[in-house]
Amino acid sequence: MHIYLDNAATTRPDPAVLRAMSRCAEHCYGNPASWHRLGVQAAAEVERARQTLAQALHAEPDELVFTSGGTEANNLALKGAAWLRRGRGRRVVVSAVEHPSVLAAARSLEAWGLRAVVAGVDREGRIEPATVRRALTRGTVLVSVMHANNEVGTIEPVEEIARLCRARGILFHCDACQSFTKVPIDLRRLRADLLTVNAHKLHGPKGVGALFVRRGTGLAPLLDGGGHEGGRRSGTPNVPAIAGFGAAVEAADPRDAASVGRLRDRLLRSLLRAVPGLRLNGPARDRLCGHLHVMLPQGDARTVLRKLSAAGVYASSGSACASGRPEPSHVLTAMGLSPGEASRGLRLTLSKHTTRAEVNAAARLIARFAAEESS
Amino acid sequence: MNRPKAEETLDLAGVPCPANAARAILKLAGMAPGAVLALIVDDGEPVRNVPPALEEQGHSVLFRTLEGGRWRLLVRNGGAS
Repeated sequence: MHIYLDNAATTRPDPAVLRAMSRCAEHCYGNPASWHRLGVQAAAEVERARQTLAQALHAEPDELVFTSGGTEANNLALKGAAWLRRGRGRRVVVSAVEHPSVLAAARSLEAWGLRAVVAGVDREGRIEPATVRRALTRGTVLVSVMHANNEVGTIEPVEEIARLCRARGILFHCDACQSFTKVPIDLRRLRADLLTVNAHKLHGPKGVGALFVRRGTGLAPLLDGGGHEGGRRSGTPNVPAIAGFGAAVEAADPRDAASVGRLRDRLLRSLLRAVPGLRLNGPARDRLCGHLHVMLPQGDARTVLRKLSAAGVYASSGSACASGRPEPSHVLTAMGLSPGEASRGLRLTLSKHTTRAEVNAAARLIARFAAEESS
Repeated sequence: MNRPKAEETLDLAGVPCPANAARAILKLAGMAPGAVLALIVDDGEPVRNVPPALEEQGHSVLFRTLEGGRWRLLVRNGGAS
């Protein structure tokens, strides 16, 4: 039995993605910077994917820069944009629940002489626009707030935050790795200057992402070289992965969100019935469709996760990037949970492949192992 | 030879090489065989390299005119993808 409930960490690639990648790797191996037929064919694969992403985001193809993933795109956004603006100000604001790649990039900026300000969130992991507004003091050049949290799934009020930043001439970056294709993103309405997406959270391949850079937004490259991607990201593009990214976006169906959300709610109801004292972490509404984060009444989530894994149910305690560390989740502690409470957190994330039978079986096993922790 | 009327125009000014040729090929792939596409490309490397790349894919570059520092190419879709 294999029940995969760790879709916020990564997802199973779609068959269409695997087909696109295999076809590209076999037949489009030319360098997309070469002018011969094979090179132009590879360039066409890259441009097709760029157009697919642009259409999905309501952006222009030229506004998309392919990267090696979300982490690189987040680093490029924060370091590339803030560094270029250091003459105007040296203050960067990030929310306390950002992905480690945003928080660490902001800390790196401090070594470069900039100041990173971390804005707090409420008990549900939501950053209030008023909190951001108060943080926008003189010298702020960039704000970064994620679209949806990777641990508890909270959808942040990014449209309002983007408007606040734009009105003050401050750049706004949004990490949309978790939300892309699950929550509609219309960059004509969401006035972000920079936005990160990646492929492997939406049944695409690992090792590819993209940064949306609104026309007119200057960006210093992190990687110097041949000037690929309009001089914003040097390095030969990973053509099969980019083609797979495009295929994943094409295969994404916005209607899946409703059915995944119903299954997620069913799982929560089953757990609340079967595990007395279990609590939901994060908001009941305005949450990603596949996300469920619960706090066990007693014990240690890691023990439950080990037992689940042995039984063929795969889940995690929090961010994939942080789950190997002994420290409590920075997201849960920012939400006001104690380290002890955070150690009882269980993240269960569903996808369009999750079935009702899997949800029922997982709920039974989680209830049994949670009971063993309480006994 | 009479200059045919373009059914669509694709502005590739500022688009780096060879992404400009790739986008033209994708655009032509979505048009009917025989249809004419007007392409705007930059002077220099783009106007030197885009036409042969399109011809290699079976399309015909019918006319090229310099307008305001940029080239306007009329391309007939050869039906290749």
